[in-house]
Amino acid sequence: MDKIEKNSIIRYIQKYIPIILLFISVLNEFDFNNLGLIYFSFNFSYILIFYYGLKKSESLGYIYIFIAGLFNDVVGGTPIGISSLMYLILCGAAAYLRNITLRPSLIKDSIFFLITILIINSLLFMYLNFTFNYELKYFDQIINIAYTYLLYFLFANLFNFFEKNILGNRHAG
Amino acid sequence: MESSRDDFVIALRSAFLKKGTQQRFSLLSLIFFSIIFLILGSFNFKAINYVEKTIKEIVYRSSFIVSAPENFLENSYLIVNSHLKLYEENKKNLAELNSLRGKDLSQKISILENIKYKKLIDDYFIGDNETVAKVLIDKQSPFLRSIIINKGSKNNIELGMVVLDEGYLVGKIVEVNFFTSRVLLISDINSKIPVSLQPGDIQGIMSGKDKREGVLQYVRDKNLSEINEEMQVLTSGAGGMFKSGIPIGVIEIDEILEINKDKIVNFHKDFSQLKYVKVVSYMREQKILDLSSKNESETLKNEIEDTNQQQETLRILIEQKKIADEIRVKIQKENDFLRNERIRLKKESDFLKNKVLTEKKINQKNKIQDEEMKFLKMNLYYGHKCRKNFINDGYKVGTAEYKKCVLNKGLKVNG
Repeated sequence: MDKIEKNSIIRYIQKYIPIILLFISVLNEFDFNNLGLIYFSFNFSYILIFYYGLKKSESLGYIYIFIAGLFNDVVGGTPIGISSLMYLILCGAAAYLRNITLRPSLIKDSIFFLITILIINSLLFMYLNFTFNYELKYFDQIINIAYTYLLYFLFANLFNFFEKNILGNRHAG
Repeated sequence: MESSRDDFVIALRSAFLKKGTQQRFSLLSLIFFSIIFLILGSFNFKAINYVEKTIKEIVYRSSFIVSAPENFLENSYLIVNSHLKLYEENKKNLAELNSLRGKDLSQKISILENIKYKKLIDDYFIGDNETVAKVLIDKQSPFLRSIIINKGSKNNIELGMVVLDEGYLVGKIVEVNFFTSRVLLISDINSKIPVSLQPGDIQGIMSGKDKREGVLQYVRDKNLSEINEEMQVLTSGAGGMFKSGIPIGVIEIDEILEINKDKIVNFHKDFSQLKYVKVVSYMREQKILDLSSKNESETLKNEIEDTNQQQETLRILIEQKKIADEIRVKIQKENDFLRNERIRLKKESDFLKNKVLTEKKINQKNKIQDEEMKFLKMNLYYGHKCRKNFINDGYKVGTAEYKKCVLNKGLKVNG
């Protein structure tokens, strides 16, 4: 009985690992978005949301993503609601891709991901710059987008590995 | 073509409107919700502000807890590292201490002199409210370089208060919650600080650039190139945002010499290593009065009272003068009117005088004519009695005696 209960708790935690990862990445002081390096930064949350929105949408509830976005705005000091909007647009793009894809391919996914993050970062840039007069560095944004895109391949493979070998999900990837 | 468009619409509808197995809200409704949040938030809607503040209180604490393992690892690494470097650092510190002891006395004198001069120009500020706060979150977003501290409005923290670390400027408070506050670091690109460069007393504006660097804006390169030594960057106190003279950083000599290149300010403090900060507000010093000062103030008070009295008298005199002026103007007007009236009357009287004279002349003429007529009439009757001829010894016609004789009805006038 004890073993069954323990198994169910572990299964519960395993199921919600993506959401826990998202909240940790949002709440943690350590941020890949701003490592203090001039030519290296990427948005881990975008990769996580897009990957799980595409491959395993039941792991990330939209409401959790919405809340994570609010938390991200509060911690980052950006206008409240902006990150939620970007995360949800990313989710929408992932859900659309999932609906139209018959044969999944990492390359096609990544290209769609690139287009999506280009659009959402442009929206973010325009909104922060024109509405709230935030002074943003255009070059830093481009670097961030480029590395987010490149690291999507690495993290997609890592998440695949995690899903297949640790959670035992055979349909992953 | 038709079917591909249908597919697109179906896929889009399914993505945005369909709820998953465990989803309570569709994606579209949440997107609308976010947009509403954004719009109402930008208009400072009260309900959104309350929600925002509640989320902030929860998130700041949660973030502190979530970051605890990472902070623990980081601190442990720093402790181990400092232990390993202890011997070398001790040697270096001893050497530095000896050189600093020598400088200390002259610095103290400079500080006292500085205070004296600042008091003279009424620019001496003293700490009004000092609060030591712990840094809760040090998450640097790409859009905003800020830290969260564990003191808020409950601890009398107010917007715009200055945040210092060991006397060096760190930033200012830009957001106050009940238990927490956000500090905008001077390394943020949006932070613009009026600075003064010493030596040379060159004024400029510094903006954040990098974790440990700021960049000088609106400063004249011409003046900088004349100085060939390391420059200290201090707050200038312009605009009243910060007290003047808070140290910020230094500009290296190489930077100064290069014209047309951004002048980089190297901050004294590393803002990624902040643990505790001091939140300060400043006020002007009020002089503490001793006995002699009290007497002086008494005299001054009396003088002020006298001056006030004189001022009051002066005010009354000015009022009186004003009234007198008004009366004078009125009288002058009346005078002018009377003068004009007098001139008019004089003219009228002259006219009448002339008229009377003319009348008089006419009257005289008439009288002469009447006399002439009377003479002629009487001449007819008595002329023969007075006229000189063979019979009568009278007067020659036309003489005055003849005339008299006629008028006397023929009687001769003797003598």
